[in-house]
Amino acid sequence: MRWLIRRVLKKSKGAVSYEEDVHYGDVLTIGRAADQAIFLPDLRAALNHARVTLLASGQYKIESLILAGIRVNDAITYTTTAGPGVVVAIGNTRLTLLAAPQDYDAAVEVSTLDQSEQKAESAQRAKPTRLVQTGLSKRRPSWILFAGILVFGLILPMIGHFVPGFGEMLRRTPLLPSTQSWNPGTLDAAHHFFARDCTRCHQTAFLTVRDKACLACHANTAAHADPVKFNLPQLGNAQCRTCHQDHQGLRGLIRRDQRLCSDCHADLKARTKGASSFADVSDFGTNHPEFKVNLPQWDANGKFAPVRTTWTADLKEDSGLKFNHEKHLKPEGLNTPNGHRVLTCATCHVPDAGGAKMRPVNFETMCHDCHKLGFDTLAPDREVPHGKVAAVAYTLSEYYAKVALEGGYQDARSPDIVQQRRRPGAPPLSQQQQQEALAWARQRAREATDSLFTGKACSTCHKVTPPRTPDDTWHVAPVRVSGVWYADAKFTHAKHTTVKCEDCHAGAAKSTQSSDLLIPGIANCRTCHGGAKAKNKVATTCIACHDYHQSATLKMGTL
Amino acid sequence: MHDSILTYARSRYLWIASALSAASLIAYNLYDPGGPPNGGTWLGYTLGTIGALLIVWLMLFGMRKRRYGSHTGTLRGWLSAHIYLGTSLILIVLLHAGFQFGWNIHTFAFVLMLFVIFSGFFGVYVYLRYPNLMTRNRESATRDAMLDEVAEIDQNALALADGIDPKIHAIVLRSIQNTRLGGGVWTQLRAHDGSDIALDSLHAAMAERDKRADMKTTEMPTMFAMVDFLAGRATDKQGEAMRALIDLISRKKGLATKVARDIQYQAMMEIWLYIHVPLSFALLAALIAHIVSSFFYW
Repeated sequence: MRWLIRRVLKKSKGAVSYEEDVHYGDVLTIGRAADQAIFLPDLRAALNHARVTLLASGQYKIESLILAGIRVNDAITYTTTAGPGVVVAIGNTRLTLLAAPQDYDAAVEVSTLDQSEQKAESAQRAKPTRLVQTGLSKRRPSWILFAGILVFGLILPMIGHFVPGFGEMLRRTPLLPSTQSWNPGTLDAAHHFFARDCTRCHQTAFLTVRDKACLACHANTAAHADPVKFNLPQLGNAQCRTCHQDHQGLRGLIRRDQRLCSDCHADLKARTKGASSFADVSDFGTNHPEFKVNLPQWDANGKFAPVRTTWTADLKEDSGLKFNHEKHLKPEGLNTPNGHRVLTCATCHVPDAGGAKMRPVNFETMCHDCHKLGFDTLAPDREVPHGKVAAVAYTLSEYYAKVALEGGYQDARSPDIVQQRRRPGAPPLSQQQQQEALAWARQRAREATDSLFTGKACSTCHKVTPPRTPDDTWHVAPVRVSGVWYADAKFTHAKHTTVKCEDCHAGAAKSTQSSDLLIPGIANCRTCHGGAKAKNKVATTCIACHDYHQSATLKMGTL
Repeated sequence: MHDSILTYARSRYLWIASALSAASLIAYNLYDPGGPPNGGTWLGYTLGTIGALLIVWLMLFGMRKRRYGSHTGTLRGWLSAHIYLGTSLILIVLLHAGFQFGWNIHTFAFVLMLFVIFSGFFGVYVYLRYPNLMTRNRESATRDAMLDEVAEIDQNALALADGIDPKIHAIVLRSIQNTRLGGGVWTQLRAHDGSDIALDSLHAAMAERDKRADMKTTEMPTMFAMVDFLAGRATDKQGEAMRALIDLISRKKGLATKVARDIQYQAMMEIWLYIHVPLSFALLAALIAHIVSSFFYW
């Protein structure tokens, strides 16, 4: 086999000349030893460094004979097969395997790098020693992150706002950001049912939420006060969002702080130039007027028209009822027709279903066990109903008419015709007898009525007045025992079940007069409740008892 | 007197940042927003504005750093302020948000900000610690000088090895190829060079040679004892060359380790910026999205 070995000789000024040589053999040996086909006088070459074998297919098999390997096409290699054109680098020698020229079986070109070429190569081969050389960049990731976050965080949701269909698609696709990703916090529980529809409230981009959006649902919410009557900027210019900020959690929409009220009410009189009749208030614990209590009273037509009066310790009330608490609340109890009983507050005062106030006292279930409404000792089971005066009169006249006509009434003072027992088959009463009997019945009914109203029945508890004219009936004064005493506050018994009745209604057990006002004033509340900044008491702001939206007549929607 | 970036101008910016933080805290505690504290209150908007302006100003540091002709204070002053005001940003933004978090763009911006600030803390740490380490490691040589010396040792080692045995020559040749100084990001940060493999191979080769030469030695001597033994056993000239070669390779290993450590220190001083800077821009985008979306749905 004939190998052509062409040596490239570099001369000055870039001139190049070639020196050709022939080598016979299958294998081309390369190394620093003197017997090598290609002798490399370079310390970086081993004595027997590598060999190249010509394969039948015109390919070359290149093998390294030492551990260090050889650089084939710039990669460290131990054994490889390659075609013509491949470059083998050992030290600063470059062997380029060539296609065999005519008359040869194989060919190789041997060239040596000069100093500048060596330097350039080592510089090229040098690994990066600084991070900037590694392709690591600050600028590229900065731009990618900046643009990516702007697109996904802002622009896509924004398009979703203007193109509802696209917005809906964004909302339905997991991992894609919709306007939901802007949601700064949980909506109030009441608003959760439309929480995915931002535009229900945020109707116009870059505008604050307008009252119009709120009033779509809240038109019937009571207003606070008439801005026409009270010319206050805080009232007239107030928008829903002034107080109501949503996205503050499930119960975050309603302001409960003291400033909500005290901002205006601390100097309301001066602020409204006397238009308001309310006293100035700034703190429940330190600056709140005595309560105004609604005392029961009735107008000329008998309609309940309570009188609003400032509470005082010796204030009297007129509930229309005579009642001695002390007698009923004897600790040792009472002997009743149904046995021995100890009465407590709860025997008569039962909270209504809402727990706020007490149910009216009920005669039939609470009083009747002891207080019977019988009217005739000869008929001890018969009683008049506890109701209207007319109903009592009807019951009596009907009862005595029946007794008169049926006879057999065993009272010596009554006429014979009433005393006589009617026998079966006896002739009917004559018209004169009937008239006599009914005249007695009318007389007896009147006596019974008078005795009921003046004696031990009605007047025991009620204030009664006799008929003013012959045609008139007896009068019973209207009664109001339980009800709302503080109409402007939201007191509820249900929230105060941890305290005993007498803790607030202190004098009840010793009260002998029903005119004793057993409703407590502000001092009693202040034993537990302080103002917003109270330290050792229940911190209580205005909203605990009062509403902002409290007007009985004005609605937000029609303001 | 030399002062570090932390104590620059008698810690002027530490005091400024502390005052800003204290003022924010006091305002936060005094102000009653009437509901849960949040970014939408008067104080929330104020703190948010301060925070946003701070972020923009802190990012301007990247521009100021490049403007050598600037007269707006010294760069050291800027850096000191950058560090302290950047740190106070954590508190200001927490107060701005009223400690409200959620799965939204707003908290995302906050988390990005924390990443930026804490990567900055790492930067402060390496800037304070690594220049010293670097100087000590270099022992007043430059990296190029060390690299030149490594190349020179390589040449000498080859010449020496050639005089001993072709196999030793091959090992040294390989060691030259295996010594990796520099490389990818990870290699630079790990300070790993391949030079110790060469030394191990050399020792292994000697051990093998020793075994072949003296099969009766059953007790395995330590590496250095073996080298001495080998050196003593061989001809004087060869032994001396061997000792010299081991010395050279050890010296080279020392140098290569130093260079690798030098590269590592430099990489550590730079790598955090590749996180700090892109995340800053991510934060800027998130901040824009946060502000615009807040007012979009006001």
